[in-house]
Amino acid sequence: MKTMEVRLHVNGEPKQWTIAPGDLLLDVLRREGYFGVKRGCEAGECGACTVLVGGKPINSCLMFAAQAEGAEVLTIEGLAHGGKLDPLQEAFLDHGAVQCGFCTPAMILNAKALLNRNPHPSEDEVREALAGTFCRCTGFRKPVEAVLAAARGSGR
Amino acid sequence: MFDTVEAFYRPDTVREALRLLQNGKNRARVVAGGTDLVVEGDRSIRVLIDITRAGLSYIRRKGKACVIGATTTMATIENSPAIRALAGGTLARAAATCGSVQIRNMATLGGNLANGSPAADTATPLLALDAEVVLADARGRRRIPLTEFYSGPRKTKTLIVEVAIPVPPRGARWSFQKLGRTEDDISLVNAAAGLQLDSKGRAKWVRIALGAVAPTPIRAVNAEKLLLGRKVDRSALAQVCDEVEREVRPITDVRASAEYRREMCRVLVRRALEECAAGTGCSL
Repeated sequence: MKTMEVRLHVNGEPKQWTIAPGDLLLDVLRREGYFGVKRGCEAGECGACTVLVGGKPINSCLMFAAQAEGAEVLTIEGLAHGGKLDPLQEAFLDHGAVQCGFCTPAMILNAKALLNRNPHPSEDEVREALAGTFCRCTGFRKPVEAVLAAARGSGR
Repeated sequence: MFDTVEAFYRPDTVREALRLLQNGKNRARVVAGGTDLVVEGDRSIRVLIDITRAGLSYIRRKGKACVIGATTTMATIENSPAIRALAGGTLARAAATCGSVQIRNMATLGGNLANGSPAADTATPLLALDAEVVLADARGRRRIPLTEFYSGPRKTKTLIVEVAIPVPPRGARWSFQKLGRTEDDISLVNAAAGLQLDSKGRAKWVRIALGAVAPTPIRAVNAEKLLLGRKVDRSALAQVCDEVEREVRPITDVRASAEYRREMCRVLVRRALEECAAGTGCSL
């Protein structure tokens, strides 16, 4: 098997990994221990594999790892700082927006990208940001409430 | 899934991309957003050439035309003030329906066309806008009308480097209509229309384009001719829709029957022309 090197930052830390030219970013991130990046449909439908690349949410199942050369990647593991959860994570807990948890990392990362560029989104804007991530447990109401609460800064 | 791939290149110029493409013969494929290529999972690919660093991500004015680089993402297009201001924002509106937020951050305009899907959402407004595509190969670049780009389903030509949109007729009104299961799902049918009226309210210039109802995205040229010089009233619209029904060649697949698609062509074209005639522009 032919291999190549890829250099990138994951959650602020510089990484250099040996990959196969056809490796997908999803597979490499999970191989390296970022299990918050979920393997779902592997066809860009369910959104469970969402990570932020350069601050933008993308489906890591559709991106070749080699395309992440030089990129800043953020996974759910990089959101808390010094043991302190991100306000979005707190809001998801407070609103009971997590059931099985499989879609939660993707929901929170999509919401994070939204709030970074639009700190006070409307409910419609929140719904659009979450629409690319499928939840098959709680539905979308509680996640939407959680994101709106985090945007209000109350977390409640 | 892509364990047969032997090399991945990230050329920083189109010239280098073309050289790699030529060297790779038919086992090399160009990749940008990957949202179609990865899902397709073609195991014959040995070489991947990522063109997202080849300087093809831009929206700018060239002379009087608006040009869009092939690797410009749907998200960039839908948010671009220039594209939102162009033709009532009809292309921006179409780009905003090309999948989820994540997909739109990856998927590119060139890819949407090069993939050759008859349902490509940006192809319909681009046909209505008389867009041209700039293709590149070892001999150089050439510009062809989008209508000549497609030869059949999933059959397209060489590397797209740019899409050029000429200045639309003064005072023209626009509409993009899409029918899918959800706002950002693939189109069952989509339609775009452009309409310029003369001082007496008669159609002076007409464009009607449809997607997912023929082997390629198409313009309904006979229907366009029928409306020229006429007032856009109920009877004219009914005749135009009859003509559209004759021009489309929909198929039955898992998403919809041919009969349903044919009927929806009528509905979407009528809605599109009504929206144009009302002059409300294309609601974003």
